[in-house]
Amino acid sequence: MNPPGSLGDLEELEGEHLSASILRPSVHSDNPQERIQARRLRIAARLEARRREALGDYLDGKKESEEDQSKSYKQKEESRLKLAKLLLCGTELVTNIQVAADIRETRRRVEEEEIKRQRLEKLENEVKTSQDKFDEISAKWEEGKQKIIPQELWEMLNTQQVHCAGLIEDKNKLINELQQELKTKDDQYVKDLKKQSDNICLLLDRMEEQVKNVMKTFRQELHHIEKAFEVERQELLTSNKKKWERALQAHNTKELEYLMNRIKKVEDYEKQLNKQRIWDCEEYSLIKIKLEQDVQVLEQQLQQMKATYLLNQEKLEYNYQVLKKRDEESTVIKSQQKRKINRLHDILNNLRSKYAKQVKQFQEENQSLTSDYKHLVMQFKEVQKAMRHFALADDEKFQEIWLMNEEEVKDLIKRGFDVDRIIHTHHLGLPWTAPDFWFLKNVGPLSQQQQKSASQILEELLMQTEEEGAEETASDPASYLDLPKQISAKTTRKILMLLCDESGFLIESKLLSLLLPLEKSECYLLRLDAIFSALGIESEDDLYKLVNFFLKYRAHHHSPSSQERMSLTPALEPAEQPDFEGREEESLVEREPEEKEAPASPRLIHPNAVLKILEAFVMGLKKPRDSRPPVKLRKEVRDNSKDSEYWQALATVIPPATQNLWDALYTALEKYHLILTQRAKLLVENNALEQQNTELQLLLKQYLASKINSELQVPPTEVLRIPVKSKQT
Amino acid sequence: MQESLATPAPSAPSRSFISIQDPSSTTDQVLSSGPQLSKPSVPPPVKSRGPNSGAGAHRLRRIIAEDAEWSLAIVPLLTELCIQNIVKNFPNNPILTQLLPEHQQKVLNDLSPDLPLAVTANLIHDESYWRRCCMHRWPVCHVDSHGGSWKCMFFERHLENLLKHFIPGTTDPAVILDLLPLCRNYVHRLRVDQFLPPVHLPPTPRSEDQSDSGSEGETEEPTRDHYQLNDLVAGLSQLEELDLVYRVKDCGMNFEWNLFLFTYRDCHSLAATIKACHTLKIFRLTRSKVDDDKARILIRSLLDHPALEELDLSHNLIGDRGVRAAAKLLSHSRLRVLNLANNQVRAPGAQSLAHALAHNTSLLSLNLRLNCIEDEGGQALAHALQTNKCLTTLHLGGNELSEPTATLLSLVLSVNTTLTSINLSCNHIGLDGGKQLLEGMSDNRTLLEFDLRLSEVAQESEYLIGQALCANRETARQRGLNASHFMSPLTAQGPENPSR
Repeated sequence: MNPPGSLGDLEELEGEHLSASILRPSVHSDNPQERIQARRLRIAARLEARRREALGDYLDGKKESEEDQSKSYKQKEESRLKLAKLLLCGTELVTNIQVAADIRETRRRVEEEEIKRQRLEKLENEVKTSQDKFDEISAKWEEGKQKIIPQELWEMLNTQQVHCAGLIEDKNKLINELQQELKTKDDQYVKDLKKQSDNICLLLDRMEEQVKNVMKTFRQELHHIEKAFEVERQELLTSNKKKWERALQAHNTKELEYLMNRIKKVEDYEKQLNKQRIWDCEEYSLIKIKLEQDVQVLEQQLQQMKATYLLNQEKLEYNYQVLKKRDEESTVIKSQQKRKINRLHDILNNLRSKYAKQVKQFQEENQSLTSDYKHLVMQFKEVQKAMRHFALADDEKFQEIWLMNEEEVKDLIKRGFDVDRIIHTHHLGLPWTAPDFWFLKNVGPLSQQQQKSASQILEELLMQTEEEGAEETASDPASYLDLPKQISAKTTRKILMLLCDESGFLIESKLLSLLLPLEKSECYLLRLDAIFSALGIESEDDLYKLVNFFLKYRAHHHSPSSQERMSLTPALEPAEQPDFEGREEESLVEREPEEKEAPASPRLIHPNAVLKILEAFVMGLKKPRDSRPPVKLRKEVRDNSKDSEYWQALATVIPPATQNLWDALYTALEKYHLILTQRAKLLVENNALEQQNTELQLLLKQYLASKINSELQVPPTEVLRIPVKSKQT
Repeated sequence: MQESLATPAPSAPSRSFISIQDPSSTTDQVLSSGPQLSKPSVPPPVKSRGPNSGAGAHRLRRIIAEDAEWSLAIVPLLTELCIQNIVKNFPNNPILTQLLPEHQQKVLNDLSPDLPLAVTANLIHDESYWRRCCMHRWPVCHVDSHGGSWKCMFFERHLENLLKHFIPGTTDPAVILDLLPLCRNYVHRLRVDQFLPPVHLPPTPRSEDQSDSGSEGETEEPTRDHYQLNDLVAGLSQLEELDLVYRVKDCGMNFEWNLFLFTYRDCHSLAATIKACHTLKIFRLTRSKVDDDKARILIRSLLDHPALEELDLSHNLIGDRGVRAAAKLLSHSRLRVLNLANNQVRAPGAQSLAHALAHNTSLLSLNLRLNCIEDEGGQALAHALQTNKCLTTLHLGGNELSEPTATLLSLVLSVNTTLTSINLSCNHIGLDGGKQLLEGMSDNRTLLEFDLRLSEVAQESEYLIGQALCANRETARQRGLNASHFMSPLTAQGPENPSR
């Protein structure tokens, strides 16, 4: 606690607070009135400053508007600000005491803390030193126990006592110090209490003063405001009264003016009215005369009109009579016509019904007929089906019978041939050659050779050419001979390869992708097949026509002299001139050796030309195709003209010369047979005799060997021995 | 009407003849008595006969002839007499609610303020009667501080008086508990600024010292507990405010530290009391030497209190631990005002408060006057204020704050739009801090009060801050005016009606 400091604080605070105002001394004066005045002035100054700052730029603009606003408003604002300021300052003044007390308290606390710390330190030090001293003393007790001489002991006891007294004194001193401090604190506490009560008194004073001031100022301001209002009201009243009077005066003068004007106008109008009346009268009389004249004229006209009206009436009556009569007549005619119409209607209805009936009838008939027709068609179809079936069966049966017969015949022929061969070889000793006839090889019913399809030929061709490489021998013409052309397979192959390479565009891409993994030959085959189907080549002939065409083309190239002629003709109609083609073939045959000489000849056909050739070919091929009968009967009538010939030939397979030979042989053989039979008989007889001989020999031996002989004087054996022996030799 | 008159009759047999004689005329008279009193010329002769019928008709006429001054007004009306009778017998036979309003008023005007409370408490609701009672009993009455109701004021002050002079162990607790059924509906706030400790008749010769105070004992008995408020508060169903000070007033030279002891038992029972009181809105416990542990006990019982809005623990001995508990309370209640002035809060406590404040959305006012939070705590609070959008009033006077805190606060000033009042008086803000605060003020449009007295700020900056505050105040006033213009029909009528 530091009362002087606190007082200083308070004063400082107030000084600080009041230093803001310029009229500082007067605020501190004892006279409350003066203080109020001073504060008011200060507030006004602050207000002014604040207003200047706050309004700033708006000052000019606002000033006018403020002037417009009533005095009372201004007064109100002013008083409000003044009062707010007063309240604020008052509360500040009052709370200053609290704030001062606060800061005093905080300071005191800080100091107290410091003092407390010091005191504790001091106490600790004291404790330490006293402990040391105590230790010393207690150590000396030990020493004393060892002392034997009473003087020394007494001395030591004395010193101990002195030491103890010193220690106690120290402690007492400390206690005294502390008590002193306590006392001063107590004093200070009392002072502080006093100070606080002073402060509270001051606070109360200030509060009271503040309340008084505030009340006073409030009252004053209220008074001011009321005054301002009153003044304003008065002003308003006077100004309004003035305005009112002025307005009244103006109104009066104006009314007077209006009155004068009105009187003048009334006079004017009266004059005008008079004039108008006179003028109207004159006009009226004039018009009256004129109208009367008009009336007379119109009456005359009326009379005339009446006369014409009568006349017209007569005429119209007559017309009316005439028209009435005509009307009657027309009604009679109308009724007649009506009757007629009715009758015709009846007839029409009858006819309609009849027509409907007939239509119905015909429809029924039509229906029955159509059903019949359908039925018949069905029947016809069934019949056809049966017929087809039977035809097929017939064919089969025919074939079977044919085959059976043929087999029988062949069997017979074979037997014949066998016999013939035996005869020739065994009996006649002649070499035998088997006759060779075409019909012998025939199997099945005779028919026209079937045309091979282009693809089949291709396959053959390719296979053949492959084999060809292995065989090395010249291409077997026999195998190729069933084709009438003489073009070498190699050439054909090459041409086809070329075609295949060049016209890949005719093949579908899908197919191409499928072909990739296949073998080369197979690949070619399929590709060509696809190309041919695209070009429309179906049969063997077409294929050969194509090959020929190529060759021809090349020929033209080779013989440029004839090139033009040739190139034109095949382009125009290559297939329609068989003669020409025949000639070509011949020429080709002639050239064949040449080709063989130059195996690379097909290469002479430039790949670029292939397309042109193909185009020409297709153009040519199209025409015959178009002209061909569109639908061929599938079932051709079998050609049986050659059948009898065939069978005849089969029957006469053994020629008559041979037959004659056989006859002669037969007779000779019969004779031979006879002789042989005779010989056989003789042989049998011979055998029998031999058998008899052997049997007899056996019996003899038996007899000779028996005992009886020995018993006999003369054995028969001896008798017989000699003959037997001879015989055996 | 007839019943109301018939009922007093048996109670006053001496006047029974009035009603017996002419009930019809009396009823007429009672009915028209009010208006007729003002015009004495009207009364018909029949009426005059009524009161004086006992004396005789001729006598009446004679009086009129003699006395020119006579008028009917002098004669007391029957109703008047009845009312007087009722008033006289009110303690024994309270009749009030059965009367007509005007008669009730008359009765109330005549009733004595010394009537026993047991009779009047639940019967009389008239404010003027209770006003008389109050004025009669206490010379100074601030009815505003008691909710504007004289009856409430009477009961509250009565109860407070009883509590103030209650001596545990000596005074009969029934004195207070008997009053409970009478005052339970009228006591909204309890402000008790002293609790007397139990008296232990001193065997020591000190007894002569005790004579003048006579109410407090000072022996070193283990039981120094004060009156337990449990039963009383549990009975007060309307209690909203509890303002307690555990101390002894006017002890004079009998001072002893024991007189000012807020014991643990007191603390526990008080904690249980406030926990059980769900209507409590304001709780103040000041100047009672509440230390950390006691504060924690109290605050723990206040956690999640349904109604509590204001907590005032100023002028105690609460340190950082107690403040930490208070910080926790901030996040567990709807507290609007927290007053911890003049305690021993230091930086850690302020930091925990700041932490709770950063995300709080209910606290409007925080008072930390006369603590010692220093710059560390001040900075933490300033940081919290940057995110807080609720706090309007902050008192940090006398906290040893200096320039760093001022720097951060200036940032807060330019950001925060809710703060209206800051008090930084009695700190060491310094010249530079003042300048920085001035900078912060230049961006602020909401602050209305900013106290920088005795904080070592340059006069110039203080003056300029004052100017800025003036401007802010002016804009706030304008805003208020505009707002009231918009809702003028409501607000204009609002204040007028109660005044009339």
